[in-house]
Amino acid sequence: MKVKKVLNRTILYFLVALIIVITLAPYLWLVISSFSTKIELMSRQIFLIPHNITLANYKDLMSKDFIPAAMNSIIVTSSVVVISVIIGVLAAYAFSRFRFRGKNPLLNLSLFTQMIPPIALIIPMFIIFKRLDLINHRITLVMIYLSLVLPYLIWIMKSYIDVTPKTLEEAAMIDGCSRLKSFFFVVLPMISTGLAATVIFSFIITWNEFFYAFSLTKTLDAKTLPVLIYDFNSKFGANYVMSATAGVLASLPPVLIALLFQKYIITGLAAGAVKE
Amino acid sequence: MASIQLKHITKRYPGTTVPAVEDLNLSIEDKEFIILVGPSGCGKSTVLRMIAGLEEITDGEIFIGDRLINEVAPKDRDIAMVFQNYALYPHMTVYKNMAFSLKLRKTPKKEIDEKVRAAAKILDIESLLDRKPRALSGGQRQRVALGRAMVRNPSVFLLDEPLSNLDAKLRTSMRAEITRLHERLGTTFVYVTHDQTEAMTMGDRIAVIKDGVIQQIDTPQNLYDHPQNLFVGGFIGSPQMNLIDATVEKAADGYCAAFGETKIGIPEQVMSAAVCADYEGKPVVLGIRPEFISETGSHSEEHNLMTGDVDLAESMGAEKFVYFACEGCPCIAKVPGSSPIQSGESVSFAVDCTMIHAFDKETGLTISK
Repeated sequence: MKVKKVLNRTILYFLVALIIVITLAPYLWLVISSFSTKIELMSRQIFLIPHNITLANYKDLMSKDFIPAAMNSIIVTSSVVVISVIIGVLAAYAFSRFRFRGKNPLLNLSLFTQMIPPIALIIPMFIIFKRLDLINHRITLVMIYLSLVLPYLIWIMKSYIDVTPKTLEEAAMIDGCSRLKSFFFVVLPMISTGLAATVIFSFIITWNEFFYAFSLTKTLDAKTLPVLIYDFNSKFGANYVMSATAGVLASLPPVLIALLFQKYIITGLAAGAVKE
Repeated sequence: MASIQLKHITKRYPGTTVPAVEDLNLSIEDKEFIILVGPSGCGKSTVLRMIAGLEEITDGEIFIGDRLINEVAPKDRDIAMVFQNYALYPHMTVYKNMAFSLKLRKTPKKEIDEKVRAAAKILDIESLLDRKPRALSGGQRQRVALGRAMVRNPSVFLLDEPLSNLDAKLRTSMRAEITRLHERLGTTFVYVTHDQTEAMTMGDRIAVIKDGVIQQIDTPQNLYDHPQNLFVGGFIGSPQMNLIDATVEKAADGYCAAFGETKIGIPEQVMSAAVCADYEGKPVVLGIRPEFISETGSHSEEHNLMTGDVDLAESMGAEKFVYFACEGCPCIAKVPGSSPIQSGESVSFAVDCTMIHAFDKETGLTISK
């Protein structure tokens, strides 16, 4: 019996370790690569710690186009997160609390837009933005990302607001709140976990988006980090070291945010999933 | 402090044809404790919510004091409301829950503190002020909800089934506490409940509502003694009034209500001879409260006999509810707990004829005095 228990434990730990390795290995390799020299990286040896640890790649990267691209990413992402949360939460509140004509069709329509693959949309979108003279503008990316993020955000936040008792708002309205005040003082604090989860959600989707950014930006006026990383692979060959270094830096904000709010992601996903 | 007038109030929810409340008129005096009582879905909570401003009025007018409040926002009506599910803000401590309304009204901090602590003292929740609602028991939450309503010193207190989520023992003690609170605050209280014990024990007056229509408004004793229709007769009183289909017949010394072989005399003080003569040979519904059916006594002018087989005898300690069938009609008698009556027995009960009620079979309206 005891042997069986120990064996079970061992297998369990082994499997967990395997999953950790599979998950972390690519990222670990990214980090290792960013501290390696190009020559060493291209050698056929496999190593965990580079022989010549170097920060030159980072220095090099900073002198290249990293900072303007990072600024683009930060501006686009923060704009999308702020705008989508404001619009999304208020829209979700309206969908959850008010009766109005066309409510359900509108709600379903917002999700329907997500069923069309981006590849089918890119040509019409390109034509539209070209005619509007909006190719290679950050605002273009902001608009597109809002259309990507908002439907999910509305659906998730609606499910949170649905389970918030209406009587709390009514109590607040009797206590002296207007509808808007009762929303801010009572509803918003109650859906804060959901809000944190959706902030992370829209941040990650926007920060990592490549396809639209690649198709609709040309220069550093609007190019974001994922496009910049791709740019290191030119027709003259792939610059793995630069790609890896930019990759490490680009991955830091989402990782930090996820670590900071990991509690909310778990409770948020669970709470939003099921209507209680 | 304020009176409340509801004039020809109608509420129709969108998409429904039957109104939830129809042409309701109600006048509530200043400082009165009025109870709105009725079965689930009768529209009593809708009436309360319309007074609170949480529900739009389809038709009619509501006045608080002299002010027409149809279009006034809930926050400007000078009311406080206690909800069935307490509706405490879960992210705030008890103190903040109670201080919330005062803070919104920009009351000075010192005054807020004084008022919150004074209310907490009255409700005996001083030690809970730093706790969050989730760390409180049902009874404590209810007290906090009352406290939150109290601190504002509103002119009208609205209570929507505030005790229905509490256990029986707590309900009894909170019932007394709310009554005392009303006496102490001297404010108009409008209290919604489906529990007729709460209605009978707490209110100055009771409005019995059915299908959105007020059936009768009166003092608890008058409702019990003189129900205006079958519904009120059946609703008020526990166990409920025995309602028996009978026919008015002429007897040797007046009139009686007959069903099967059983005849219950109708004394002049219950129904005048003229009314009895009008109803002679016609079907009526006889109403006999269980407490006026006793196990002992002989057939006399004042006491007539009902015989039946006992189906069940429920002992409540001090009293016993005896379920029996008389002429095929299920009846309940309330007898002393010491009574030896057992299920299966055939028993003769004496009915106090002076306390019976009679209703028109068709209209359901009372025909007794």
